[in-house]
Amino acid sequence: MLKKADNNALWAVIASLVLFLIGGLLTTVVPPLVDTSWSKPFENTDPAKGPTGKLVKLNAQQLQGRAIYIREGCWYCHTQQVRTLLADTKRYGWRGVDAPISTPDEFVNDSPHMFGTKRTGPDLARVGGKYDEQWHRTHFRNPRDLVKGSVMPPYPWIVNNPVEFQALVAYLQTLGRAKDWRPANDYEK
Amino acid sequence: MQEQISKAETGGAPSPAGALVHDDTTARWFIVSSVAYFFIVGIIAVLIAAKFVWPDLMGTIPWLTYGRLRPLHVNGMLFGWLLAADMGLTYYIIPRLCGVKLWSEKLGLATAVLWNFIILGAVVSLLTGWNQGWEYAELPMFLDVLVVVAWIMFGANIFMTISQRKYEAMYVSIWYIMGTIVWTAFVYLTGNFATLFATGTNQANLNWMYVHNAVGLIFTPVGLAIAYYMIPRSSNTPLYSHKLSMVGFWSLAFVYVWTGAHHMIHGPISQWLQTIAIAFSVMLLIPVWAAVYNFFATMKGQWHQLRESVPLKFLMSGVVFYLLTCFQGPMHSLRTVSAIVSKTDWIPGHAHMAVLGTFSFFAIAGIYFAVPRLWGKALHSEALANWSYWMMMIGGLGFFVTLWLGGFWQGWQWNNWSIPFIDTVVALKPIWVVRFFSGVLIFVGIVMFAYNVLATALGAKEEPAV
Ligand code: HEC
Repeated sequence: MLKKADNNALWAVIASLVLFLIGGLLTTVVPPLVDTSWSKPFENTDPAKGPTGKLVKLNAQQLQGRAIYIREGCWYCHTQQVRTLLADTKRYGWRGVDAPISTPDEFVNDSPHMFGTKRTGPDLARVGGKYDEQWHRTHFRNPRDLVKGSVMPPYPWIVNNPVEFQALVAYLQTLGRAKDWRPANDYEK
Repeated sequence: MQEQISKAETGGAPSPAGALVHDDTTARWFIVSSVAYFFIVGIIAVLIAAKFVWPDLMGTIPWLTYGRLRPLHVNGMLFGWLLAADMGLTYYIIPRLCGVKLWSEKLGLATAVLWNFIILGAVVSLLTGWNQGWEYAELPMFLDVLVVVAWIMFGANIFMTISQRKYEAMYVSIWYIMGTIVWTAFVYLTGNFATLFATGTNQANLNWMYVHNAVGLIFTPVGLAIAYYMIPRSSNTPLYSHKLSMVGFWSLAFVYVWTGAHHMIHGPISQWLQTIAIAFSVMLLIPVWAAVYNFFATMKGQWHQLRESVPLKFLMSGVVFYLLTCFQGPMHSLRTVSAIVSKTDWIPGHAHMAVLGTFSFFAIAGIYFAVPRLWGKALHSEALANWSYWMMMIGGLGFFVTLWLGGFWQGWQWNNWSIPFIDTVVALKPIWVVRFFSGVLIFVGIVMFAYNVLATALGAKEEPAV
């Protein structure tokens, strides 16, 4: 049958498109229909089932902060996903509490998604509440003032613009907070 | 078979009787602009490699910050250099394989103008931070729409040429180019438009389908089309097996698209989808090995030709890198391997071997082959071309190998959570220094290549090509 494609351009095009579309449709259109957790916002009131909490939509200031995060390409160096690996839950936990694994229902409001592919810097999926505003101010002005050996770029134009700076920090403080994962509720502001 | 030459090769004299004379204006414009972008974006590439060594370098200028230069580097290399070069070579190859002139040089020229407009628009928007936030799909919407328009113009021109062809049987390069045109349409629409209607994991899944297939179903098939044309042509040896090339093509058509979710192994996406992506990633070995075997078998007994021919050097090194990169790919989609190398510097090492080591090498070979014919002059300097090969080869190897080693080591350290993150950053600094200097070597190779092409095109050397 495929031999016909040797001489017949239309036939070749149709055959290659059909073969492509089988996988194309089964891996893009079908999965969200099968796995509904991709589109149902996180909500849990039963501590027996893991961390409780509820995914809330970002407010205007937090959305502005997210737009800055996108504009400055923070997402080329930082991922936002605690993977199903012990190394991730341990490393991205803090003060003795393991970070909960990221689940699709925590991200249903995200567009564009910020999962990322590269960890030049640490994962930020649970960074919300880890540092206070002053820490971020110093860090964004010049990361090397706080963390010797860091290769994160300085962002003076953000720190020198109070509206942008506060928006960005407001956004960072929401990360990972749908799940109320710190028993002592010791989040920084 | 009928003799085919480029208009420039006749040198204004009346063409030999019965010969088919190609105009080739479109091919020339695409190739010249792609080479120019290769050089310009190469500067940016070196700059971002330098920022890993000196993070404060030009750090206070917003439009020169890492997060804005990096998408410019990626988009500039993918669309400004590689895709434009591939399109230029397609405009060169297809009329010759079909035995007819390009359907419309006017439409082709308009496509070249539009393409340059898109790339310039990309430079401005990405530097100002106007970024849509999806990898490989950073360009703002109005540019996305223009890309679609340009692609339709390109596709129409190529398909019309194919439909008027004189030789009924289509050589394998023609299928690969037809495949590229139709698959790209779907892949690009998924990554740039379908994503608008999804959020979160669902959107990420569409995004990775696009990212993966931008390489797998755009750069791979058009790159292979070039290799299937250029390897037999540059070595004057017929292709080893038509049947094997069919196996490669049809398995590629079926297998590639399933693998997008392997970018999210262990991530917040359904386990069953990860498993499917892994299974199909391993199956990718079939189309890859079919093509690679065919190329090696074609060269059997002809390897000595590599000594004399720069295009063949680039082509066969590209084939070896193709074999390697497509062995890495399936391997690090496996869950255990992914747990170490995913998100590390291993990944840019892998990606550069595919896009630079394989597909850019194929395109460079094609350009070195085509330029003397397109301008009807001998290449400005064979020696310089040879040097450009060695610069890119040594620089490339330095780049790939150090990033694999570094990335593997980094992932190993991350898996020991008692090591603070910053220590794993500091540990990689020597790697980034080597990467920077390897990048400089690659860039020197690019400068030699670009100079050679431009000097041939503009230069006064009038001897006809051999
Ligand atoms: C070139 C890569 C790079 C870019 C771009 C980058 N970072 Fe970083 N980031 C790092 C590195 C490396 C570290 C770890 C060392 C440190 O803390 O400075 C880090 C650390 C951080 C931390 C501390 C995380 C923790 O758990 O300690 C935060 C928060 C952060 N970055 C936010 C941002 C934001 C917001 C942006 C964009 C405005 C950004 N980063 C851009 C590389 C980068």
